[in-house]
Amino acid sequence: MALSLDVMRSELNAAMVGSAPGTERADALCVTCVGLFDVDGAAVSLVLGGASSGTFGSSSESSRRMDEYQFTFGEGPCLDAVTSGTSVLAPDLDAPQEQRWPVLRGALLEDGIRGVFAVPIMITSVCVGALDLFRSRPGPLDGVALAGALLAAELASMPLLDLMNEARDLADREDAPVCSTDHLEDPPVEADRVEVYQATGMLISALGVDADEALVRLRAHAMATDQTASQVARSIIDRRLMLDRDDRGTTGDGGRSRR
Amino acid sequence: MTETREHEIIRSFVDLSNELVDDYDVVEMLSQLTSHCASLLDISSAGLLLADGRGVLHLMASSSERTHHLELFQIQRDEGPCLDCYREQQPIRVADLEAEQARWPQFCEAARVVGFKSVHALPMRLKGNVLGTLGLFGEQTGSLEDGDLALAQALVHVASVAIVNERAANDRETINAQLQHALTSRIAVEQAKGVLAHAADLDMSSAFTVLRRYARDHGRKLSEVAAAVAGRELAHEALIQHARSVALLP
Repeated sequence: MALSLDVMRSELNAAMVGSAPGTERADALCVTCVGLFDVDGAAVSLVLGGASSGTFGSSSESSRRMDEYQFTFGEGPCLDAVTSGTSVLAPDLDAPQEQRWPVLRGALLEDGIRGVFAVPIMITSVCVGALDLFRSRPGPLDGVALAGALLAAELASMPLLDLMNEARDLADREDAPVCSTDHLEDPPVEADRVEVYQATGMLISALGVDADEALVRLRAHAMATDQTASQVARSIIDRRLMLDRDDRGTTGDGGRSRR
Repeated sequence: MTETREHEIIRSFVDLSNELVDDYDVVEMLSQLTSHCASLLDISSAGLLLADGRGVLHLMASSSERTHHLELFQIQRDEGPCLDCYREQQPIRVADLEAEQARWPQFCEAARVVGFKSVHALPMRLKGNVLGTLGLFGEQTGSLEDGDLALAQALVHVASVAIVNERAANDRETINAQLQHALTSRIAVEQAKGVLAHAADLDMSSAFTVLRRYARDHGRKLSEVAAAVAGRELAHEALIQHARSVALLP
């Protein structure tokens, strides 16, 4: 049965809205992926470099284990997807022409997995991880499932943003940014705007932080002031607003001259 | 046709086809496409939307940085002539936007605010796939001349070949990967503009000029320099310094 993208989107959103921010949300996304895309397992891996890499969410313990193989062996479609920033699809690990990831392939085949599909998860222009789908029978993901997987990968950036918030020790503060469920409906779309990227760049320079942190702060300010990311971005670009290191917005006089 | 205009047209094609040779940059190329269209045709502004793997349109390049123009281009992800053009895979000519209020209420309102009265949307086709749309916006009512539309369509075709640079690519997967790469590169360029705009107190247009000049003079791809600036691997001071040394900035 071919499901429409709209149906897939509602199911994925519903799963995430109904769960707590962070790992629980990532797990819920993975469980939903299994049902929607006719696969046997799903996992979200985080690849931020160094010690901040690993499996973040999964549809089951066995999926988590299989996803972790990639980190153990240092090879796999997920890691390749992150490096290349594109989807890496392996419809049949047992096919003679499939020569990639020899060690990982052996381990997955032993576990009864024949197909693996990894879709990169982006936060603005940075790839922070991948959504990995596992299947016990060989064969490609059909067009609709692949489109759905791309959608799921976009939505998977939300729990990852939750994680980054926690990691930055902002969770204890009174005005801590929390990815409230009100904004779950279209978060990647809401932030996917030229002015948001430009404003993120300005924050990178102003605060001396990385792109993903700049975006988190911008969105946090938007939520705290009940505006869209685009509105906050526009204020920053017009020099009517600048965020300082403590996330408090200061409204400037906009009077700086511009060449 | 005046000699100047003929030269301009030739130069547009030469520029675009140069991009196809060797190591080109897709963001640079598509930005040039919109600039060329804006100066060659009797229009006010041009915006190019590219589709991602799910068929969602994203603003890839525009000839104008003006807020309201960007707003108008981006509304078309959800509604408007460019979206319809993408779906129907056919050009859409609207000589008078006022007549289309019922068809695209949000878009027409945004166009009214900007002062656009007409629009032409052309599909960006490659081997039976539509990659996106080019929107041409005018401040007067009326259709563009057939010759002008043919010119714009030809420029768009050259550009589409360059986006999907693998000659043998005819499967959706490869095409999607290339489109995604273009869209991601564009994000880094916008972020880098923001970094420079803040660091040197520039507007976005000037920031883009500084970025592009540095990339060209150092034989590097625009997207690559942008990613390095946005990723804080390349100090913005280096670009600003260079801009000063070539008298681009005081």
